[in-house]
Amino acid sequence: MKTDDLISLMTASSRPVDTRWLSRATWLSALIALVATASLVLLTLGVRRDMASAWMTLPVIAKVLLGASIAAVALSVFQSSLRPGLKPARLLWLMAVPLALTAGWAFISLSQAPVDQWGTLTFGRSWRACLIAVPLYAMCPFVVLLALARRGAPINGHLTGLCAGLASAGLATIAYSLHCPDDAAPFLGSWYPLAMAATAGLGALILPRVVRW
Amino acid sequence: MRRNKANSVLLGKALKPLSLAQLESQLRPIFLAALGGDAAAYRLFLDTISTRLRGYLRQMLARVGRYEMSETEDVLQETLLALHLSRHTYDPASPVTAWARAIARYKLVDHLRRTGRHASNLPIDDEAYQLAAPDDAASDAKLDLARAMQALPERTRTLIDRVKLQGTSVAEAASATGMTETAAKVAIHRGLQAMAKFLSKRGAKAI
Repeated sequence: MKTDDLISLMTASSRPVDTRWLSRATWLSALIALVATASLVLLTLGVRRDMASAWMTLPVIAKVLLGASIAAVALSVFQSSLRPGLKPARLLWLMAVPLALTAGWAFISLSQAPVDQWGTLTFGRSWRACLIAVPLYAMCPFVVLLALARRGAPINGHLTGLCAGLASAGLATIAYSLHCPDDAAPFLGSWYPLAMAATAGLGALILPRVVRW
Repeated sequence: MRRNKANSVLLGKALKPLSLAQLESQLRPIFLAALGGDAAAYRLFLDTISTRLRGYLRQMLARVGRYEMSETEDVLQETLLALHLSRHTYDPASPVTAWARAIARYKLVDHLRRTGRHASNLPIDDEAYQLAAPDDAASDAKLDLARAMQALPERTRTLIDRVKLQGTSVAEAASATGMTETAAKVAIHRGLQAMAKFLSKRGAKAI
């Protein structure tokens, strides 16, 4: 086939195109995935027992804010990484803000506590549960974002995968905060970021293998 | 080359060695009109960008010792197909030339990775270079898209043949095959999608 013929075909069948669909779809599916993941947490693990009194306390709010800010930055980079010709990775540095705040808070509370409590504050009751649950529940939003990435044109599959993983982990953090019984800042500052990093690495590994265009 | 006169005048203007910034400022309004559904603008955009991308791809392929024009044309067609099917990924606030170039680069890298193991078999001596087909005859690509077309359903293939070979309008081709114009457009669009899918699947197998 001649290139000119191909151009004729493409012109003949062309119709108006909505360039804003991709960003709308990203935010909307992230919201739906968040509701689904939260429901999944409630169905499988249940809400934490003291939720009625805990939901307005700083630790729970901090978990939600950490998850939401990471997810927001990651989703916005994810969305632009599906559009060729942009330089989306620059925005990733914004994630340093919530992470630095969390780490700072963790160090302050460690410095104020006696040394023999550091272990308890950091490991809490359920650090393994957190480390397993966040990446596991993140698979729910990740599958949604994977499907979305197939509708875009990711020229850097590793970056798109990394962002999809981070966003999914952020959403899963919000969902898991409904259950997570540990409220110490050092716990929050170590296991949640670690779980997010693990999910991000997994995403960067998986996505380029699944999304080809 | 089947182009109407008004287009070739405009195109001639666009073909002069413009700087990238000049090309961008000419091309972006044309592409935005095309995204709004202006078929003539889309034709003009594709003609202009394909000329540019052909030059880019030829230069890049020559750098790795590949001088066959049909290979350039294969990658160009794959790029154009990807461009067409990814129009919704264009950010209207960004340069359209950067968008097109990024897609071309992705398809080129994909092509080189897929065909890498045969790179040493390609003749790169002077004689082979001189024997290469002249530019115009080479605008017919080798095999890739032709093979992709074989995978399409009969009716779509007939429709595509009518539009591309006989140069009839979609409306005429549609009524000849007993379809509505909208249905014909959708069928062609699906055909292009299927071809792109065929090409990218072939890539996955080779790896």
